[in-house]
Amino acid sequence: MNQDVLRRNNVTILGSGTQPMLFAHGFGCDQNMWRFVTPYFESDYKLVLFDYVGSGRSDLSAYDAARYGSLEGYAQDVLDLVHALDLNDVIFVGHSVSSMVGILAANREPDRFERLILIGPSPRYINDAPYVGGFERKDIEGLFEMMDRNFIGWANFLAPAIMKNPDRPELGEELTSSFCSTDPVIARRFAEATFLADNRDDLERVTVPSLILQCSDDMVAPTEVGEYLHRKLPGSTFRLMKATGHCPHMSDPEETVALIKDYLGAPVTA
Amino acid sequence: MLDNAPCGFISFGDDGRVQLINATLLERLGRTRDEIVGRHVESLLTIGTRIFYQTHFFPLVKLHGRAQEIFMLLRDRAGNDFGVLCNAVRRERDGRLVTDCVTMEVDERRKFEEALVQAKQTAEGATAALEAQALELELQHQQLQEQAAELEIQSEALQKLNHDLEQQRKAADDANLAKSNFLAVMSHELRTPLNAIGGYVQLLQMGVHGPVNEGQLGALDRIDRSQRHLLRLINDVLNLSRIEAGRVDYKVEPVALEEVVSSVMPMVEPQMKARNLVIEVSLPPGLQALADREKVQQILLNLLTNAIKFTPAGKRVCVEGGRQGSVVFLRVTDAGIGIPAEMLEKIFEPFVQVDTSKSRSAEGTGLGLAISRDLAKGMGGDLTAESTVRQGSAFQLDLRAVEEGSSA
Repeated sequence: MNQDVLRRNNVTILGSGTQPMLFAHGFGCDQNMWRFVTPYFESDYKLVLFDYVGSGRSDLSAYDAARYGSLEGYAQDVLDLVHALDLNDVIFVGHSVSSMVGILAANREPDRFERLILIGPSPRYINDAPYVGGFERKDIEGLFEMMDRNFIGWANFLAPAIMKNPDRPELGEELTSSFCSTDPVIARRFAEATFLADNRDDLERVTVPSLILQCSDDMVAPTEVGEYLHRKLPGSTFRLMKATGHCPHMSDPEETVALIKDYLGAPVTA
Repeated sequence: MLDNAPCGFISFGDDGRVQLINATLLERLGRTRDEIVGRHVESLLTIGTRIFYQTHFFPLVKLHGRAQEIFMLLRDRAGNDFGVLCNAVRRERDGRLVTDCVTMEVDERRKFEEALVQAKQTAEGATAALEAQALELELQHQQLQEQAAELEIQSEALQKLNHDLEQQRKAADDANLAKSNFLAVMSHELRTPLNAIGGYVQLLQMGVHGPVNEGQLGALDRIDRSQRHLLRLINDVLNLSRIEAGRVDYKVEPVALEEVVSSVMPMVEPQMKARNLVIEVSLPPGLQALADREKVQQILLNLLTNAIKFTPAGKRVCVEGGRQGSVVFLRVTDAGIGIPAEMLEKIFEPFVQVDTSKSRSAEGTGLGLAISRDLAKGMGGDLTAESTVRQGSAFQLDLRAVEEGSSA
């Protein structure tokens, strides 16, 4: 079972420390996105990286449309890993949608988690006055259209070819190297689970301390959203970054690492 | 040269700020260079495209250094969207990392793509429908197979039941045969001493062993009557067991029923006179049946004896005959107490009488009807009864008719 989960989620374990840092990638990416920041933590922590089922090099055959139709299914992936590796005192680092996935997992088994580090989090992307999420529904539909457009070739021609040619993994490689998502249909469903979700009610139940890393000029998760989270999340620390865009761990890994280390303080060593 | 090339060109840093843009793209956007340079590249995109840029395009270029044939929607000054395909490379220039993009507008191709995708979806829908039908057929096939298997099981169960019943029937037949054999042997063993009793009573009555006084004669008469009753009973039992054991021979020939009736009448006359009964006989002349004469006599005698026994004094007993198709019948009707419907079949079973208390006083073995029916069946006929309580009963002996022109 343990080995199955590790294979299913293409788990990578790095670092020479004991306290686990669990890195959860965001929508549209895979664990590769962490490669600019992980070197800074390798000496002090045990780093666990993985791909959600349907992303990166995860086991596509484990995909269950019903389970991954909501973020709870992704949170289950996180808890499966925590159990398979028997992780405790976990420092969970989630980007974008994975911030909410981490919150759902921590609410279900708070004893396993020590801190949550939320990079560019948003509990709801669509405006719901007076709540500001940053988007109207038609904007999100514009994203779906963009995905459909870009996945036209894959969804309609390449993906069926992959399914019918399990002996030709290079077809899948091509997809992975292009968009980090192995299957456009799954990516589309992940997009819906992410951008149509509303996790505002889950925030006040959080008991694990958290760090909110808010980028400047992040059009995906605007500053109002980060501030809303800070108000609603008990025990949260809010840091507005100089880094702009939605992926500071890629665009400005140094600032990202510094803020995380500052928050964690002296690492726990065995 | 690049400025007026027939494709768009734009270059921006990791922070997204535009550093270079060519005249072709500027013209398409309806913008001036000053408006764009220094601004974030996102500002040229539709909102949906901006999310896609942040979640897909940027990580792709950042992680893999390039992106190819990415479709994006740009927005011109007037607010109109237009689609471009974009190729991008991230490279170092003048000591800084920049992303160079060329864009090519796709308008006609979009329509083809849409038509293609739609045609493909239609085909997929049809395929799915066919697959669903195939699945449905497969399901029905499975259900039929299951039903067939179920029927097979039921058939096996029925065969077994049949076999069991056959066994039980055989066991019952065996038991019946054993019973008949036992009765035949027993009856024979009983008859011998009874005959001795009868013989010695006669000798005593005749005074062979010396004079017999009045009281002794009365006692001997009772012994004699009891002996004869017992003997008749034993004979009946013996007959029945013989019949059941299939040891009775039938001499089947054309029998004139008028003659049979005439031969039986004298045998019952004394009893009829004693009870002041009237007997009416109604037979078509020349009525014949294929039967064993003696057996028919025996049956008729039994029926008449019963009729007389159960008909109150002064009433009448009828004997009728006739032919219905291939059947010739003799019917004996009494004016007796009648037989309840639920008893009509039971009276043909050995040792059964309607009213046990009465029958004993009326003397009888309770075997007469059983023997009669067995004999009737043995000749290819039957014996049946119908009755109305308090009005009387009718017993009908069916026999095979003599076919016209038959000499047999």
